This record gives sequence, C-alpha cells and structure tokens, in this order.
Amino acid sequence: MNEQEREQKRRLYRSLGFLSSIGISMVAATLLGLAIGYYLDQWLDTRPIFTIIMLMFGIAAGFRNVYVLTSWELRRQQKDQDENPQ
Amino acid sequence: MVHPFMFLEWFADLISLHVGPHVLYTWLAMAILLSGAWLASRAISLVPGKMQNFMEAVMTGFDSLIENVMGKDGKPYFPLIATIGMFVLVGNLLGLVPSCFPPTASLNTNAALALTVFFMTHYIGIKKHGFHYIQHFMGPIIWLAPLMIIIEILSHLVRPISLSLRLFGNMYGKEIVLMIFFALVPLFLPIPIMFLGVLISMIQAFVFVLLSMIYIAGSLEEAH
Repeated sequence: MNEQEREQKRRLYRSLGFLSSIGISMVAATLLGLAIGYYLDQWLDTRPIFTIIMLMFGIAAGFRNVYVLTSWELRRQQKDQDENPQ
Repeated sequence: MVHPFMFLEWFADLISLHVGPHVLYTWLAMAILLSGAWLASRAISLVPGKMQNFMEAVMTGFDSLIENVMGKDGKPYFPLIATIGMFVLVGNLLGLVPSCFPPTASLNTNAALALTVFFMTHYIGIKKHGFHYIQHFMGPIIWLAPLMIIIEILSHLVRPISLSLRLFGNMYGKEIVLMIFFALVPLFLPIPIMFLGVLISMIQAFVFVLLSMIYIAGSLEEAH
C-alpha cells in the first residue's frame, strides 16, 4: 500500500466515524423534545398540546444539529481538497 | 456483564472502599496519563529521549488537528482538547486489557466529560461575544427569532446527551459483544472483536475530540 492509498484510508476512517455519529444527534434531539413535552404536559395537565409542540421542536432541533455538523464536514472536505488536489 | 474479574475492584474490596468500577478505572487512567507525563517531562532535553519523543509526537498530532479544525483561534483550548482526547483514548483502550474496565463504558464518566465541554462552549461564547452571544441563538431572520430560540436551545441541550450517549453506547456495546463471544467460544473468536475494539476506541476518541472542537469553534465564530 503506497502513501496515497494509506492517506485515503485514513480519511475514510475519519469520515466514517464522524458521519456515523450524526444519526444519534438527531434521534437524541427528537427524544429530548418528546420528553420535555411529556413532562410539561404532566405538570400543566394540558395533554397532548405540549407533547406535540415540543416533539415538533425536537425534530427541528435534530435537523438543525445535523445541518450544522454536515455543513462543517463539507467545509472540511472542501478545504482538504483545496490543500492537496488529487 | 463486563469482565468477570477486575483487579482494582478486588483491591478496593480489600480496603473496603466502595466506589464504582468506573471511578476506580478513571483513577487508573489518570495514573497512567500522569506517570506518562511525568516520565516525558522528567528530563526534557533538546535531543528527546524515548518517552519525550513519543509524547511530543502525540502532542504535535493534537496541535495540528486543532490547527486544522479551529484555525489559529483554537490555540488557547489546546490543553482542554488534548486532555479530553488523551483521557478518552486511554480510557477506551483500557477495555482491551484483561481485568480492566473501560471508564468510558459508564455513562457517568462520559456525562462528566460532555458537561465540561457543554459549559465550556457557553463560557467561551459569553466571554468572547458578551451579550451578543444571544445572537447565536436567534437565527438569521428577526421575526423568526422566538421560534429559533427554542430550537437552538434544544439543539444545544441535546449536544452533551448525544456526546455522552455515543461514547457510552459504542464502548459498552463492544464490551458486551466481547463478553458474549468470550462466553460462547473463548479460544479464538474474541480476537476479531478485539481488533474491532481497537478501531472503535480510536474512532470514538477522535470523534469525541472532533465534536468538542466543532462546538467550541461554533461558539467562537461570529453569529450569522
């Protein structure tokens, strides 16, 4: 394996680790929103208004997290390519 | 469900010290790191010895990573990032040593690390931007601000959760799979899982550090 292939492999592992970790940030945000809404409803006795609203907010927050992380990764790949073009 | 025999827990039982295994093995990881640092810096010379050479290589790696991800602004946070990275890496790799328990396979340790990162990002943001830090939460359009604030606060709150859960899930899952395979066929079957464990340990330590850096860099940059 020459130097370039090894570099390629290392980049692959980095991106693999990073991208595979994106999913959980979305799931966790959705569940956090759901939990907050559920307990707000239990506290205020307004079932199911807050559960639905906070679930929506949770999903939006999850997308927001994924957006931030993905745009960052894209920027990094762009920078990588600019520095050492193939 | 982890290793059937843990020497530090046995030792702690002897002196009737009742803390969880994750605390004991956190101390072990700390001891390894501290003694490594002490050995490396004991006799610093221009022509480095073996230990100094190794530690210099590791620190240069962290330095270039921070430079790569955060740019010049990231330099002040080098100690935080490098400490977290070294601790998580050593903690993960402890799981591959017989009769050791990886401290990162406990949610408590990970939550401590993730909460440190969480509070640090906001402290850094407030220190850097002052009151204008709130603009980070408001989004680009002013009449959407009330909506965006809730979404942004939620997405910030979820960061420590996903950080700690990710590391915990990977490490604990590796431990369980390893133990099940060990119970089934103890001879050669666990070896591929242990190779996988090395890979997971490295990748998860890297991801933890990378995400901490992204979060800190995010609170450093100007609001959109």
